Amino acid sequence: MSKMLKASPQLARRHPWQERLAEDWRVFRGNLLGRIGMGLLILFGLMAVCSYIPPMVNAMYHPMTGVDPLVLKATPPSLRHWLGTDFMGRDIFSQLLAGARVAFMVGVSAAFMAVVLGTAFGMTAGYMGGFTETVLMRLADMIMVMPTLLIILMLAALFGKLNIWTIVLMIALFRWPSVSRVIRAQTLSLKQRPFIDAARVAGASHTRIIFRHIMPNVLPLAFLYMTFRVTAAIVIEAGLAFLGFGDPGTVSWGMMLQWVWKTGHMFTAPYWLLPPGICISLITLSFYMLGRAMDEVLDPRLREEGQRE
Amino acid sequence: MPLLCVENLCIGYHTKKGLLKAVEGVSFSLEAGSSLGLVGESGCGKTTIGMALMGLLPPNGAISEGRILLDGVDLAQLSEEELRQVRWRDVAMIFQAAMNALNPVQRVSWQMTEAISTHRPELSKDELLRQVEGLFQLVGLPLARLHDFPHQYSGGMKQRAIIAMALALNPKLIIADEPTTALDVVVQDQILKETKALQEQFNMGIIFISHDISIVAEVCHHIGVMYAGQLVESGSTDQVFYAPRHPYTQALVNSFPTLTGEKKKLTPIPGEPPNLIGTIPGCRFCDRCPRSEAFCKLEPPQWQEVEAGHRVLCDHC
Amino acid sequence: MSPQPPPINVTDPILALERVSRIYFTKGNIFGRGGQRVVALNQLSLTIGRGEVFGLVGESGSGKTTAGRLIVRLEEPDEGTIRLEGKDITHLKGRQMRDYRRRVQMVFQDPYQSLNPQVSIADSVAEPLITNRIGDPRDYLQRVLEVLNTVGLSPAEDFVYRFPHQLSGGQRQRVAIARAIVVQPGLLVADEPTSMLDASYSAQIFDILLGVRGQMGATIIFITHSLAAARYLCDRIAVIYHGHLMEIGPAASVIANPKHPYTQALIDATPKFGRCEAVPVYGTLLSAPREAADLAGCPFFPRCRRAERLLCSRSYPDWHPAGPEQVALCHFAQPDHGAGAPAPGEACRLGGA
Repeated sequence: MSKMLKASPQLARRHPWQERLAEDWRVFRGNLLGRIGMGLLILFGLMAVCSYIPPMVNAMYHPMTGVDPLVLKATPPSLRHWLGTDFMGRDIFSQLLAGARVAFMVGVSAAFMAVVLGTAFGMTAGYMGGFTETVLMRLADMIMVMPTLLIILMLAALFGKLNIWTIVLMIALFRWPSVSRVIRAQTLSLKQRPFIDAARVAGASHTRIIFRHIMPNVLPLAFLYMTFRVTAAIVIEAGLAFLGFGDPGTVSWGMMLQWVWKTGHMFTAPYWLLPPGICISLITLSFYMLGRAMDEVLDPRLREEGQRE
Repeated sequence: MPLLCVENLCIGYHTKKGLLKAVEGVSFSLEAGSSLGLVGESGCGKTTIGMALMGLLPPNGAISEGRILLDGVDLAQLSEEELRQVRWRDVAMIFQAAMNALNPVQRVSWQMTEAISTHRPELSKDELLRQVEGLFQLVGLPLARLHDFPHQYSGGMKQRAIIAMALALNPKLIIADEPTTALDVVVQDQILKETKALQEQFNMGIIFISHDISIVAEVCHHIGVMYAGQLVESGSTDQVFYAPRHPYTQALVNSFPTLTGEKKKLTPIPGEPPNLIGTIPGCRFCDRCPRSEAFCKLEPPQWQEVEAGHRVLCDHC
Repeated sequence: MSPQPPPINVTDPILALERVSRIYFTKGNIFGRGGQRVVALNQLSLTIGRGEVFGLVGESGSGKTTAGRLIVRLEEPDEGTIRLEGKDITHLKGRQMRDYRRRVQMVFQDPYQSLNPQVSIADSVAEPLITNRIGDPRDYLQRVLEVLNTVGLSPAEDFVYRFPHQLSGGQRQRVAIARAIVVQPGLLVADEPTSMLDASYSAQIFDILLGVRGQMGATIIFITHSLAAARYLCDRIAVIYHGHLMEIGPAASVIANPKHPYTQALIDATPKFGRCEAVPVYGTLLSAPREAADLAGCPFFPRCRRAERLLCSRSYPDWHPAGPEQVALCHFAQPDHGAGAPAPGEACRLGGA
């Protein structure tokens, strides 16, 4: 008896989702980009978690309000301030940690909202077709061609300083169309697949077909797009903050860059300019690498290679 | 000397789960002007052999042992560059998914002249075109359709164009991998008849790969039955299909519905073929075999010659 | 002249198609021009008896799959009426449609495509029970295990929690059959259930279908391009060509004694396997199709060697009796001799040159 046949009862006892996840994880681990991206993200995650520690150690390490009474100006790194201080004597290292928290918050929540909106609209348009599809897709087209940053800048100029959550919401509102296009295309192709016909013959209602048969096949793609959206959201937020339209009550990396610029330390304080700049580049890069790796995990063509004869 | 001589061929694929031995210890030979049909279920290694003969194994596959002698030259030892010379000129292939083998944005005439001119750069444009016209007549395609795009062709016409392309350089050996699978019976019949006629006309060797025993029975002189990476029975078509000796061949024949003769009950083959990752000590068919005995599972079966030219890989025969 | 229903009486009919047509319009260019009208089915009339295995035989594009899709109501016909046990079901909606789904099920051609890759075998097979709210949800697993055993997937416990990609093609198709018979339908449409599978799996699938008929008394409509499969499985067969019914009759007699030139051409083209001492060769197919002079003529006229231009190109043929319970749509069909006379048998084609 072959190995496979002997192993199969155990295979069956293990839950198939576990098996599938284990398989996905194995593919993912085999991908260098994915490993690097994951490593970097874990690092940023640790930074975000650790951002709560400095203010607890000493009030002067509070990223926003803490001021070192002995310094009160920009100073290079020292033992007291590992990455130096900014123009008011605030600790750059604790700002950097707080910035990681904000970046995650902004990136993930904006991306999540954009993906939920995009998936809902894309699936509806793709499945319903006809008039609904036309309306939704033209709306998507209209939003898609608008320059996001410019519009948000204009809104910010109109309504004054924006709250960080307003910014998140606006990023989401402007960033769902590209997701919905992809999801719609995927839904259209799924709709043609015989298993949808089979579900109809089995008596499944439209709701059941959408949620039970189409959505599970679309979700992995939506998650893939989410990692790419995160990158976009972080860059937009940083751009806004750098241009002076960020949430003044939040320490983000874009905000730090803006402070460097506004106080004229751009070319005199590299210890202040470089950390947030590098962090923004690295976090977007790592989300991108993660996305690329997930792309490979999800791509069925690459997956089946070697399993066929 | 036979045109093609395959000796103890072993091919493995490196997969994530380990080495998959797709072909193990396969030997056969083919005379010029005769045809061999390789039959078996999908996954039995028949397509892999076809790909190996063309030097077109996927990147994770490799010939681990054995020789492929075409007119005395071992194809398994040739470099990629030398193989490129042999491909199409000496060995041509009619692919399984022939429908997709034509480039949709180029005219058929252009594609064929391009393909010929890479191997025969000395020919002028006019000569090339004349040769393509000759090929069109050979396979029964109307000359008026020479400059059409592939999508303007029907399935049968595309398949004919592919056959014309395979014949272009007068190869000694043609490998036809399920060439009629996607076609209707009437078109399939025409293509099969034409392939057979062309083979006789040009005295080529053909290796015909299919899972359908009625098709290979119609076209081929010799049959090799494959199961789980091994050749299990070989001989002339009459020997193999009228007097099958291996339990697997017998099961295949008994599970095939016929159009003529008395209507008898079909016997399905129970079970599934074994997984080819890892080693299988004994006979590969023993789990599904009605005649298997305890020792079948433990020791590899030996080849038996039951008649002149009729060989079976089974200890019970 | 339009096609008449074939003059065949079926006792205890379960399903009847009455002059059913389906017409597709291909999309034209951007200005709406160049769109073509493709007649997939042209006034097809069929009556299928309770408990029989009925074969619908034709090439691709003959409309046989369209007929199957109309019967399970995946599409609606453009003309005509479909009746199940005398009741018009052509345009059912809502509750009645749900009820219809319990009684008519389908097995699709490609088991690699007809099972959702994200849904486990248990959930796939149980789906018709869930959607049709049949029985107690607590019994579903038990019922699923039963059906899986019926289609020969045993021990069923090993299969229920697997996913389609972990099964072979033959096993997947058996799952698809299990899913179709879990609601115990009275009518099962099997659309080329073996054409995507290895030949070695076909016999399994045939046996299961015959078992479904035997144990559940279901009527089966078997759609196929293979006359050999139809001969093995079917009680009666209908041969269709370009949406027109050509010949209908008991399977054995249509294959042994075909009267329509198209049926004869199909038999000529099928690779024979087995001892074939006296295989007739009809030679009814023109190698190069001729122009059809008139749309009103016989649909097979352009490819028929036996056709007479004056007659066949102008008038649509009537049904001619071709044998007991067998009729053919051909001007020349006659019960005993004439059009059906086979040429002297070719020596066995098997064994090659």
